[in-house]
Amino acid sequence: MPLVQRNRELILAFLAMLLIGGLYAAASLTAGIPQAGRLLGHSLGVLGFALMLATETLYSLRKRALRRARRRMSEWLQFHIFTGIVGPYLVLLHSAWSFKGLAGIVVLLTVIVVISGFIGRYIYTAVPRTPEGALIEAEELERLIVEAESALRAGRGSAEDPRAMAPTSAWQILVRGPADLVDRVRRWRALRRLDPAARAAAERVDDLRARLRELQRQAASLSTARRLLAVWHTVHIPLGMALFVAAFYHVGAALYFATLQR
Amino acid sequence: MKRPLGCLTGAGLLAAALTAAVITATAFASSQKLFSPGELSAASGAPLGGVSTHASLEADCAACHPAFWSAVTMGDRCLGCHTQIADEIGDASRLHGELATPENCRDCHTEHHGRAAGLTTVDQVDFGHDRVGFVLTAHRADLAAPLACRDCHTESLRTLDIQDCAACHFTLDSQFLGDHLLSFGTNCLECHDGIDSYGADWDHATTSFPLLGAHADLVCTRCHLAMHTLEELHRTPQQCIECHAADDLHAGRLGEDCRSCHNPGTWQDATIDHELTGFVLEASHALADCLGCHVDRLWWGIPTTCIGCHAADDHHAGRFGTDCGTCHRPTTWADWSFDHNLAAFRLTGAHINAPCLACHTGGSFRGTPSACGACHAEPSVHAGMFGTSCGTCHSTSAWLPASYNGPHRFPMNHGGAGGSCGRCHTGGLTGYTCYGCHDRAEMADKHSDLGDFSNCMACHPTGDKPEEGGGGGDGDGGDD
Repeated sequence: MPLVQRNRELILAFLAMLLIGGLYAAASLTAGIPQAGRLLGHSLGVLGFALMLATETLYSLRKRALRRARRRMSEWLQFHIFTGIVGPYLVLLHSAWSFKGLAGIVVLLTVIVVISGFIGRYIYTAVPRTPEGALIEAEELERLIVEAESALRAGRGSAEDPRAMAPTSAWQILVRGPADLVDRVRRWRALRRLDPAARAAAERVDDLRARLRELQRQAASLSTARRLLAVWHTVHIPLGMALFVAAFYHVGAALYFATLQR
Repeated sequence: MKRPLGCLTGAGLLAAALTAAVITATAFASSQKLFSPGELSAASGAPLGGVSTHASLEADCAACHPAFWSAVTMGDRCLGCHTQIADEIGDASRLHGELATPENCRDCHTEHHGRAAGLTTVDQVDFGHDRVGFVLTAHRADLAAPLACRDCHTESLRTLDIQDCAACHFTLDSQFLGDHLLSFGTNCLECHDGIDSYGADWDHATTSFPLLGAHADLVCTRCHLAMHTLEELHRTPQQCIECHAADDLHAGRLGEDCRSCHNPGTWQDATIDHELTGFVLEASHALADCLGCHVDRLWWGIPTTCIGCHAADDHHAGRFGTDCGTCHRPTTWADWSFDHNLAAFRLTGAHINAPCLACHTGGSFRGTPSACGACHAEPSVHAGMFGTSCGTCHSTSAWLPASYNGPHRFPMNHGGAGGSCGRCHTGGLTGYTCYGCHDRAEMADKHSDLGDFSNCMACHPTGDKPEEGGGGGDGDGGDD
């Protein structure tokens, strides 16, 4: 799967942040930084918090909606990630760069939960799943590996032994990203030296080999990755709950002190 | 079994409960300071409520924020310290009189924006400045960039130094403002409420007295002298005579409504409806110069009779009296017509076309005799027999035919003459002849026995056959 398509939600979130940031900068230059208690600042906070609530609830509800499920889990996850980035970003702008009192604590918790979310997504990708997002069990994973090896041989590619380099420890799972990046650069350089026709064929073989390597790695680290994801859930969910409780306190206090109390 | 939401795990619920507990406890412990969005202002003033800055109250949130179950409001807390403001509320003559209520302090005054932040935030675009007695309409409409509060309220938002008005308006039009201040004084707010500029561009037509004609060039003080308030300006006289009594050359004789003749442009360009005076200007009178009649600008007491003005023009030297209009029309003197029927002697028949001077000889139109004989001497043909009562026999149309019905010695209808005098009186009325009808030779033959039969009437006085013993005579007639 191409890099852009694989990270579509991240790119969209980044673009949304750029757009919102631009508008925020323009408003700041025109009338000063939008104060949290003014119309624009309030709007940022309300919208951001609504997106965060959507982040927290919609994906979980979809995961449990087995009978009347709408759209694929992976799409819901993309939406979850998008709102999980843009929502906190709006909350950050709502703070007007003042991090005092409970409001400051809420912003801090938001940042922590977002970082935790990034880590969770990183671990999540180490666990093999169907395109719909369902977990792939070990037997199914072995079958996919055999299919990939056959396809690779049909494509006249030599099957390396990726199992030797497959991560098996939690640490190796966490740091697999840089190793993947180095490998990508190495293969790109090798392909660049070929003529166009040979490069196209080699790219097909390379993709098959990468798919095989990914499957073999997931098979080798399946139990470790799942255990790591469970640990992450154990930390992330309480953080998220603490964030939302604090946020509700903040909203209640703001409504009472800044609006209702005369 | 239905799986709970992902977040509703034991750890998640525990974390939520712990967070709520910690926040609640911290809030109570910090006297709600946990919820403070920022520092309080350090701006100092006269000590109120035991402190001189809000920052001094930072540790005591309840000083301003009463508990939600309390009947006391934040406004009560504000006014509890700021008693001077509490006194202003309701007093329309003071800043907070119309603006503020105990419930809306926060609409303008905010806190928790830092030590150095201002305590008053006013929406400079939508602030209802009219509620303090001065509308910002003109100040907003005429400026490219909106005025900031401090542009006028340089010292304090609660005060306005009139010098600040002058300082700014001097830069706009120093000449005008200098004159204006000299004329109307320096208390701008006595007249100006901000709706209008009242400056050079102000349109006086928006009032009930548009400046027309020469009025438009006057300086304001010409009419509004020593008027310093709107009430005084509104009482400015609007009737002509109230300002122009001294200009009235008519000395009041033409009334006080100058506009009935004059326009606002100039006194000289007057138009009068002369009909209103009772003397309608017709024909050449309408074209005449006013001063032709109103000599020496005497507008009152001018005679309305013809002779009053035209005595010198009377070519009749008064012989026709003074009522020129009897004969003459107002166009020209030559345009006249005399109705002789109005005189004792009505013109009929041939008299109508007779030249006036044929009767009125010597230019005399009065005392002209009306007897026929005064003009018509008895003709010789009458031989003095009929006198001067011409009308007995003649009409005024012509001398002839005439009809005589007076005494006659011989039947006038003899022989079917029918009153035709010439049938018998062929040679004149003093004689007659019968031979016009009776042949002379025949008569001579018949009267051969008579020596003289020339006097027919001697024997035939009634024209009948002769009576016995009648004398003869010449039929050529004797005296009638």
